[in-house]
Amino acid sequence: MNSKSVVITSMILQMKQTFARNMFKYCMFIAPILSTIILGEMYRYAPQENFIAFVVLGSGLWNLWGAIAFSSAGDINRERYSNTLSMIFSAPVDFRLIWLGKIFGNTILSICSFFISVIFAMVLYRIPVQVYSWGLLTLAFALTIVSFIVISIFIAYLLTLSRRTTLFMNCLEFPFILICGFAFPVELLPNPIMYLSFIFPPTWAVKLLRSSIVADAPDYMHILVWLLATTIGFILLSSLLYKTIFRQVKIAGTLDMA
Amino acid sequence: MPIIEVKDLVRDYTITSGLVRRNKKTINAVRGISFSVERGEIFGLLGQNGAGKTTTIKMLITMLAPTSGTCKVLGYNTFGQEKMIRDKVNFIFGGEYGLYRRLSARDNLKYFANLYKVPLDTRDKYIDELLEMVGLSDRADTRVETFSKGMTQRVQIARGLINNPEVLFLDEPTVGLDPLGAETLRGIVKEANKRGTTILLTTHNMYEADELCNRIAIIKDGVFLDLDTPANIKARSDTKTTLEITLTKNPLNIATISGVSHVASSEKDGLTSLRVSCQSDNAISQVLAVIEPTTIKSFKNEVATLEDAYIQLVKGASE
Ligand SMILES: Nc1ncnc2c1ncn2[C@@H]1O[C@H](COP(=O)(O)OP(=O)(O)OP(=O)(O)O)[C@@H](O)[C@H]1O
Ligand SMILES: [Mg+2]
Repeated sequence: MNSKSVVITSMILQMKQTFARNMFKYCMFIAPILSTIILGEMYRYAPQENFIAFVVLGSGLWNLWGAIAFSSAGDINRERYSNTLSMIFSAPVDFRLIWLGKIFGNTILSICSFFISVIFAMVLYRIPVQVYSWGLLTLAFALTIVSFIVISIFIAYLLTLSRRTTLFMNCLEFPFILICGFAFPVELLPNPIMYLSFIFPPTWAVKLLRSSIVADAPDYMHILVWLLATTIGFILLSSLLYKTIFRQVKIAGTLDMA
Repeated sequence: MPIIEVKDLVRDYTITSGLVRRNKKTINAVRGISFSVERGEIFGLLGQNGAGKTTTIKMLITMLAPTSGTCKVLGYNTFGQEKMIRDKVNFIFGGEYGLYRRLSARDNLKYFANLYKVPLDTRDKYIDELLEMVGLSDRADTRVETFSKGMTQRVQIARGLINNPEVLFLDEPTVGLDPLGAETLRGIVKEANKRGTTILLTTHNMYEADELCNRIAIIKDGVFLDLDTPANIKARSDTKTTLEITLTKNPLNIATISGVSHVASSEKDGLTSLRVSCQSDNAISQVLAVIEPTTIKSFKNEVATLEDAYIQLVKGASE
């Protein structure tokens, strides 16, 4: 009972705080529009199928990723500077529940920016809505969100270890967008990087979304299996790391700035 | 069983500097302190900036791991058995950090009540009481970022009491409070203590430490210089009495009297003010004899304060 309420109150608190920030308006409205224009110009002469897959979806995912993972990483930083990170960490309830709540809060807001970006792309470039299977698309979208949440929990855990989070954070956003094939297929990447990209669930999530849009949904099941496998892999990895990381955090004393 | 049990406690920090060539340096923040606090006690930790007070508290509240030694609260190790401790203790840190500044005072308290598993049915009423107690009832619903330093500190105090802790740790809790606010806080500490809360506090205000604490430890560079009741610490100090005298003329030879350990003088409006620390009754009579011929404007004698004893101890340790 208390666990559920911790997740929910942390989520609400997170959203209240986000609304109180000015940066939020940029992330919510301006960023989706900018990313749509950038990708739209890149794919101006591409076939319509690619246009939907890489511009409409691509910019939507770009923003979804930015808002879930990027802002969760930013939260670690902010909470460290305001010394609330060490506070919530030393509270009786499990830190994992608190953090999950925060990520849920970010997720709800980022789904909004995903749709803003998708609608903007469709209006700006006058794309007709053509989807092979709405059912498969919905499933793919739900799994995409789950996989993003899993990755951002993983990142947040790692970031508690170091005070140089700002640096890592900035290193994370764009490489991920490129590596995971948000803007172009990962098959265009050099081989070693392409194989690296297969480790991360978002790569498969993106493929799955695309597959549900184009005709016949080729490979849908195959991709789905990979997505589930990598997502579960990261869940296991995070839960294994949790104990070690949070011992280490107390040994290193990196939770606050004092 | 002591409520707090610390034995040979050590904490080192490793800091790295330099971007290219990384230099590692070890700071020995706490170097082997031992003490225990019994149920119902108020224990004070005094010492200069950087002495290791906050580090010690962080280890006690399960925030930081000891490098070595024993660190137990309520019989459990603070590193490894955190779960058994956390809902029974709480802490108040001085300063403006440690709150969600974009949220209101009430929202902060509600959230922390949730994190400290405060039952829902009594929560809102208790929060109202806490807000009343720290004098913030009328600003409870405005954002903390609009608060003054002292008001923020009051929210921290309320937050620290949210779970009605068995053990309360206070790190410079009166920092930034006005005299009345500090008085209120001392009242809150005494009241909580009367209800059975064991308290460990740090402060730079010797008067406060003397008033509140049953026992005091004086820490310098991570080691204890003394640990005793305030009365015993004062009794051990060389200074027995401090005389505060205002005269029309400065009798220059007071410092040479044997048994006078320290003289501070200042001039203002043609008058000389002296603060003379005397180690014996004999020294007092000799001082009186010396100032006899001059016109005495005011005279006050004070028995030794904790501050005198503290300064002597800490200075003595540096020499
Ligand atoms: N996170 C940290 N990393 C590295 N060194 C630290 C860290 N925290 C504290 N120190 C060092 O440990 C020593 C003790 O610091 P601590 O904060 O415990 O002092 P304090 O007694 O609380 O002082 P103050 O009265 O100023 O609050 C200092 O030398 C400080 O520089
Ligand atoms: Mg301190």
